[in-house]
Amino acid sequence: MADVTLTVDGKTITAPAGTLLLEACRKVGIEIPAFCYYPGLSLQAACRMCLVRIEKMPKLQTACTTQVTEGMIVATDTDEIHQARKAMLELVLANHPLDCPVCDAGGECELQDMTFKYGAGGSQFVEIKNHREEQQWSPVVFFDRPRCILCYRCVRVCNEGMDVAALGIQQRNSGSVIAPNDQTQLDCEQCGMCIDICPVGALTSDTYRYKTRPWEMTHVGTICTHCGDGCKTTLGVRRSDDGMQIVRGDNRDKSGLNGEFLCVKGRYAFDFANNEERLTQPLVRQPNGEFAPVTWEDAIKIVAQKFRVARDDRGGASIGVIGSTRNTNEEAYLLQKVARSAFGTNNIDHHRTTDYVALTRALAGKKHRMASIADAGSAPAIFVLGNDPTEQHPLLAWNLRTNVRHNSARIYLANHRDIKLQRQAKSSIQIPADGYAAFARFLGGEENSVFGEDAKALRDALRNEPSLLIVFGSELRGSAIDALAEFGLSLPDTKFACLGDYVNSRGAADMGLYPDLLPGYVPIEQEGGLRAEYGGRMSQQAGLDVAQMFEAAARNELAVLYVVGDDPAERLGVDADALRNTFVVVQDMFMTATAKLADVVLPTSNLYEKSGTVTNTFGDLQLVKKAADRAGVRSDLELIVRIADTMGEDVHALVPFGKGVRADMGQSRGVQSGEADRHGIWLAAHNLEPKLSPFDPNAVLDEIQRLVPGYNFDRMELLAGTSQHVDADGSGVMEISRFANRPDGAMPSADTLFTSGTLGHYSEKLNEVETFQAKKSMVAAD
Amino acid sequence: MSIVRDLAAVAKGMSVTFGEIFQPTEVENYPDGPGPFRGAKFEERYRGRHVLQRDENGLEKCVACFLCAAACPSNCIHIEAAENTAEQRISSAERYAKVYNIDYNRCIFCGYCVEACPTDAITHGHGFELSSLNTTSLVMRKEDLLAPMPDSPAKLESSTQ
Ligand code: SF4
Ligand code: SF4
Ligand code: SF4
Ligand code: SF4
Ligand code: SF4
Ligand code: FES
Repeated sequence: MADVTLTVDGKTITAPAGTLLLEACRKVGIEIPAFCYYPGLSLQAACRMCLVRIEKMPKLQTACTTQVTEGMIVATDTDEIHQARKAMLELVLANHPLDCPVCDAGGECELQDMTFKYGAGGSQFVEIKNHREEQQWSPVVFFDRPRCILCYRCVRVCNEGMDVAALGIQQRNSGSVIAPNDQTQLDCEQCGMCIDICPVGALTSDTYRYKTRPWEMTHVGTICTHCGDGCKTTLGVRRSDDGMQIVRGDNRDKSGLNGEFLCVKGRYAFDFANNEERLTQPLVRQPNGEFAPVTWEDAIKIVAQKFRVARDDRGGASIGVIGSTRNTNEEAYLLQKVARSAFGTNNIDHHRTTDYVALTRALAGKKHRMASIADAGSAPAIFVLGNDPTEQHPLLAWNLRTNVRHNSARIYLANHRDIKLQRQAKSSIQIPADGYAAFARFLGGEENSVFGEDAKALRDALRNEPSLLIVFGSELRGSAIDALAEFGLSLPDTKFACLGDYVNSRGAADMGLYPDLLPGYVPIEQEGGLRAEYGGRMSQQAGLDVAQMFEAAARNELAVLYVVGDDPAERLGVDADALRNTFVVVQDMFMTATAKLADVVLPTSNLYEKSGTVTNTFGDLQLVKKAADRAGVRSDLELIVRIADTMGEDVHALVPFGKGVRADMGQSRGVQSGEADRHGIWLAAHNLEPKLSPFDPNAVLDEIQRLVPGYNFDRMELLAGTSQHVDADGSGVMEISRFANRPDGAMPSADTLFTSGTLGHYSEKLNEVETFQAKKSMVAAD
Repeated sequence: MSIVRDLAAVAKGMSVTFGEIFQPTEVENYPDGPGPFRGAKFEERYRGRHVLQRDENGLEKCVACFLCAAACPSNCIHIEAAENTAEQRISSAERYAKVYNIDYNRCIFCGYCVEACPTDAITHGHGFELSSLNTTSLVMRKEDLLAPMPDSPAKLESSTQ
């Protein structure tokens, strides 16, 4: 739109016509206080904090609803305005309790800040304040009515942002009160967005209530360990008796690819890390069948000894390795490298939840066809095939809703069930649960009587889209993905994304946790490149997948099974008998079903307790920062290195560290003084920082960046916290014919908003919310 | 001449001495005096060991707002907060201090914590005999710092502390 010029406080400013006056002022650094205005939500004009004087207007105007016009003359910094702000605050504070010392918002409360700045220090009222008891609305949401300033942000974010509309307003005027949808309780998605957006301490969360204060915590922005969307969550950690404990998860740092958003898991389901059942000592099974704690040295010696003997006596093929979908890329990469180059086995796999291989192959050689999750918030048209994003990919669903609201994006759905996203969809059709592959072919032009007129209309609409984003769930795999990609590539401008279930499902796939694929989807039989790097012990024979490993164990062909952060026994229902002749080593946080069958259990840290990188299901690579700490556990990276080292492997060949550097550890660069470590930042950004130990994930990242196709990202940007999109090039896979009908081996987890695989069992809060919501839906069904 | 002058000077000086000799003794009888301070006397505003006060109902005044810890320049106050329940009410607001430690190895008795406290819960008492051969005993816990219950027998003895 054309620009208009106006004058604010004697300063001439220019802004596009239609901009809100408040935004135009903020852009040039003129602050206008606001409670009810919130970027991205509808306008409310409830709080009157943003009053300004506009020449030729009879009364003061609300800057949050006034659009700039040519020649407008505005005053924001006069006695009159100061008086107005002060008066508004006085009214807000008229019945506001003097709760700051105990209020959870204290220290990060917008009302405190405003009172401090525009202040009404005293009050004109002598009346006793009206007290109301605090109410608990759900396992996570509490409401303290006297603190509410009626800005309606919570109502709007739940209504517009979440499309849940669980909050409303009862009564009118000064008697207005925010109320939950289910009488005295909330029947909703329990996302906590309302709590986050509340400018004061009226809405508070059960996990954080009265625990500590914002300035008492260290705030670390890291990546949520739950679903495959990879939101950035800020963890508030505090010293505890056995390390650093997480006391709060929120979205204080809104710099991640999720912007405002976090779902219930990213916000509250960090408590598995504080679970009492966590293992903190290595356990070794004794001859009497019981576990006994041993020292780390002994445990690692036993494991390394077994691994070496198995490899030397029965050959690498007698060792099986299963990796994790919640570990970092560095750990996944190193695990497969150690398996291949030190154990000499290709029996390596992970819990596959979708078929990334097929999509990579289908898009081989095509640049920029893989979408970033940001595209879901900006693409003009999106076709979602399968999956239920609201339940399984909450951030994706949020981005789609926001895109519809702000940009009128067109959403097309094809699904076998009713999903909530239909409310935003331009058109939506139902297809049979087993009809996804046929539907993909139907889109490509193959006629099929199963699909009627509505399907044809959808196909025509998609064909007419000038630019389309296709997002599909794990209902589509193998050749169905080929058919879909073929259809998509025939359109003018299409991007694709494939939905896997866990935080690093995509990373595990990219890092080559496959029996037949090296990192970057390079086939095992391809000469040169990674094969040359990994050395002579590497086999050219494709190995066993998870299911085959257990079959081999039952046939007595597997001497050793090394499970790093996965629970295949629960997933596949493996019984103890199948593993009676296999030496099982499990690295995990808890005594999982698989750990119960193990001979050695090594307690490990989780994603919140380590550094590294993860890749979300869209291929957005992000930095993971260590937030919490727990005495007695080790990171998987450290354990993999130490086991290989104790086996007698050359650690320098596995991890590129050291290289003869002698480093100043920071004494001379003042890192203790609280200044930014500029020296360190420069070194890190230019990839020059000395990696002094093989446990340094950055050393592994160096190698990933050097060797893994697609991972040639901008390191400075990554370190600065910006996600980097990676785009694997699958041309290698394309060349090899056996990939045409390769079994995908995927077992989608079918998680909901309130479950998170095995990890979810250990989050008390998540279980509480799940039970609460299950009761609600039972009542609703009656 | 100079002798006269010198003698006069000595006499003048000694007159002060002899004059004072017959005045009542002002020296404190520490450490042999009576009471918990063993004879030591303080100005009212003397800043000694802290006392965590109780309100008239015997509830702790501290609501665990962490402001003292934030104000403390030597970072020696450690608090862990918890929520009052209907069955167990410790303070009069929603929150109370489950743990409240002051590390007297580090405390510089500056009084900032007392200034910062919005509920007048933390005050400086007059306790001053804080030396110890064991530094760990200088980390005092809430139990060491709390004022006694209003009606407890210990009241008389330590209410002045
Ligand atoms: S909402 Fe803000 S102003 Fe009100 S009691 Fe809480 S911290 Fe104080
Ligand atoms: S928790 Fe989320 S869904 Fe529930 S009321 Fe708040 S904003 Fe709405
Ligand atoms: S509860 Fe918070 S967000 Fe909702 S209206 Fe009240 S002050 Fe605003
Ligand atoms: S949407 Fe996914 S990544 Fe984001 S907070 Fe929720 S579970 Fe975590
Ligand atoms: S007196 Fe000063 S140094 Fe001592 S606890 Fe209080 S604020 Fe800290
Ligand atoms: S911000 Fe303008 S009325 Fe609230």
